[in-house]
Amino acid sequence: MIRFGPGNLRIPRFERPVYIVAGGLTDYRKRYPEKNTCQLCVEALRMAVEENDLKVEPEVFRRMVNWCVYSQFADHFGDQLLAAAKVHDYLGFDPLGNIEVKTGGATGGSAVLAAAQAVASGYASCVPVIGWERMDEVSTKVGNSYIASAACKDFESELGWMYASYYALMAQRYQFENNVPRETLARIACKNHDYARYSPYSQNPGQYTIDDILNNEIVSHPLSYLECCVMSVGAAVLIVADEETAFKLTDHPVRLSAICGGTHTLRTADRRHMPILLLPHESQETYRHYFEGERRDWPGFSSFLASRMAAYLAYNMAGIKNPLDDFDLLETHDAFTISDVQTYEDIGLRPYGKGREFIESGDAYFEGRLPTNLSGGLIGTMHAVGATGIFQLVEILWQIQNQWDKFHADPKRWERYGKTKPADFRSLQVKNARRGCAISHAGTGSHVTCAIMEKA
Amino acid sequence: MAIDWPTTPLDVINRDPLVVRNPKTWSHHHSYGGWGKFFLGLRERKILATRCTNAACAEKRMWLPPRCQCPDCWRDMEWVEAPREGRIFTWSVVKYPGELFKLPAGTPLISVELDGVCTKLMSWLKQADGDAGGSPTPKIGLRVRAVFNTDRPTNTILDLAWVPL
Repeated sequence: MIRFGPGNLRIPRFERPVYIVAGGLTDYRKRYPEKNTCQLCVEALRMAVEENDLKVEPEVFRRMVNWCVYSQFADHFGDQLLAAAKVHDYLGFDPLGNIEVKTGGATGGSAVLAAAQAVASGYASCVPVIGWERMDEVSTKVGNSYIASAACKDFESELGWMYASYYALMAQRYQFENNVPRETLARIACKNHDYARYSPYSQNPGQYTIDDILNNEIVSHPLSYLECCVMSVGAAVLIVADEETAFKLTDHPVRLSAICGGTHTLRTADRRHMPILLLPHESQETYRHYFEGERRDWPGFSSFLASRMAAYLAYNMAGIKNPLDDFDLLETHDAFTISDVQTYEDIGLRPYGKGREFIESGDAYFEGRLPTNLSGGLIGTMHAVGATGIFQLVEILWQIQNQWDKFHADPKRWERYGKTKPADFRSLQVKNARRGCAISHAGTGSHVTCAIMEKA
Repeated sequence: MAIDWPTTPLDVINRDPLVVRNPKTWSHHHSYGGWGKFFLGLRERKILATRCTNAACAEKRMWLPPRCQCPDCWRDMEWVEAPREGRIFTWSVVKYPGELFKLPAGTPLISVELDGVCTKLMSWLKQADGDAGGSPTPKIGLRVRAVFNTDRPTNTILDLAWVPL
C-alpha cells in the first residue's frame, strides 16, 4: 500500500490502561544442551515472579493469571510443532487459554502487543508473555539457512541462504546514498559488545576497537562477523496486567503507554517509492532536499517503512512529540550495524540520511542524550529470536524501576551463570529513567513493533 | 507375537546431558503455482513479469518477481517480457552462505534495476570484465544483461544471472 486512506492511519487506543509488572530472563548461550526449552521458560518465569519484589507469593500469582501469550520464531529450530502447548503445560497453566505469536524477528514485540490487546480490551487482566528460541540443534550454517527460509523462498532464499546478505545489500545501497563512513557503523558494534560486558546474561561481550570490527572476517560484504547479531538459546518473560492487578502485584508497575505494529513487503526488492510518512516533529520542510544526489526513492533499500509506521502510530498514541527529548532510553533491534542506523532515522532520532549523527554525536551512549541498547542488544547480548522483543522490554522495565543494578551488578547473578563479574564493571542504570522505547523487528523490515513504557 | 525393538537408534552425541542426532532427510513437493510460468520462461531466455491492465487500478505497475494478481486492485495481471538489460542497484559478496547455497562462497549477489519494472530484482553476477580468476567485482550503476541457465536448469531463481554489458 503506497497511498493511505483515512482508516489506514487511525491511531490505536487502549480501552483501559496496560501495565508491565515484572520481567525475567535466562542467560543466553550459543549452545545450551544443559537445559531444554521447557526448563528455560520456567527459569525466566520464576525470575519474573520470584525476584521482582512482587507483593504476593508465587502461588497467589499463579491463581491470578487468566491468559498466556507464547513467542517463538521458528518451529524449524526447536523441531517441535505446538511447542507452546508443551511449555504451557510445563508451566502449569492448563487449562487457561493461550495463543502463540509468530512474526519473525519481531515475534517478541508482537507477543507483547497481543498481550496488551487482551488486557486493554478487558479480555484478560493478568497475562504472562513467554518467549524463547532454541537455535542450537543445528549447525550455524543450517541455522542461517533456516533463518533465510524467512526470506521469499521462491525468489530470494536461494540467493545465499543467508539473511546477513540481504542486509548487506541494504548496507551497500545505504552507504552509496548517504556516504556513511564504515567507522560509524563499527562504532555501533563496539558500543553494544562493550555494554554486553556489564550483563551477566550476555553471550558475546567484548572490548573491541573500530579496527577490530573492520578487520574482522566478512560475512557478506561489507558486514563483518562482529557487526552481526548472535544466534542464541534462551528465554524471556514479561508480566502484563490491568491497573487493578498491577497494583496488587507491585507498588512500581510501569505503564505500557503504546505498542503498535507496522509491516512492509517480505522482499526488499518490492518496496515502491512513496511519500515519506512524517513523524510529529517532522514536516515537508525536513525533507525538502532529501531527493537529491543519489537518493531517488523512499523507503527504497535505505529505510524501513514498517519501523516508520510503527513509530508513527506509537508516538501519536503515547503523545510523543520528539523521541530524543521524550525518551530516556531506547532498545533497538540491532541485528546488524546497518539496520541500527536505518532505524535511528525511521524512528526520528535524526532525519532520513543523517542517522550516522546519532552515533557520532555521542547521543546513543550511556549518559548521552538517548542511551541505546545498554542491554548489549542483539549484537552483544542475545538474539534468541522469540525472546528478543521481550528481553528488550524487561531491560527497560528494570531501568525505569531503578532496578538495573539489582539484576546486573550482584556477583551472585554472574555466578548463577558460571561467570565472574568483571573487575571493571560499571553501572548502566540511567538516572531518573522515566520513559523508554523498544523496537522489535523482523525480516528486512517485514514486521516491526514500537513499544513505549513509562513510569506509572 | 512379540514385536522386536527398533534397530535404528539415534546416535548419541553427548551422554550428559544426553544429546542425540535426529536426522531429517525428507523432501517437499513445492508448487510454484501460477509463478511457475516465470521459471519455465527462463529456459526460453525470457524474463516473464506481470503487468496490471485494470484501467481502474490506481497504479498499473509491472512486477518482477511476477505476481498473478495486482496488490493494488487484486485483479489478474497479464504476463509480459521484462527488459533483459538493466543496472546494478546494489550488491554484496556472500562470503559465508547458509547451507543449501548452490553457488560458491564469494558469489556476488546483486539487485537489478530494470526500466519500467517497479521492483529491484534480487539476482547474482556471473562474471565481470577484468575478472582475473577471483570473484567478479560488482559496482552500483554497472550496466548488465541477463544470462540464462538453459542447459541444466536448477528450476530455481538461480537460473537467471547477469553479466556486464
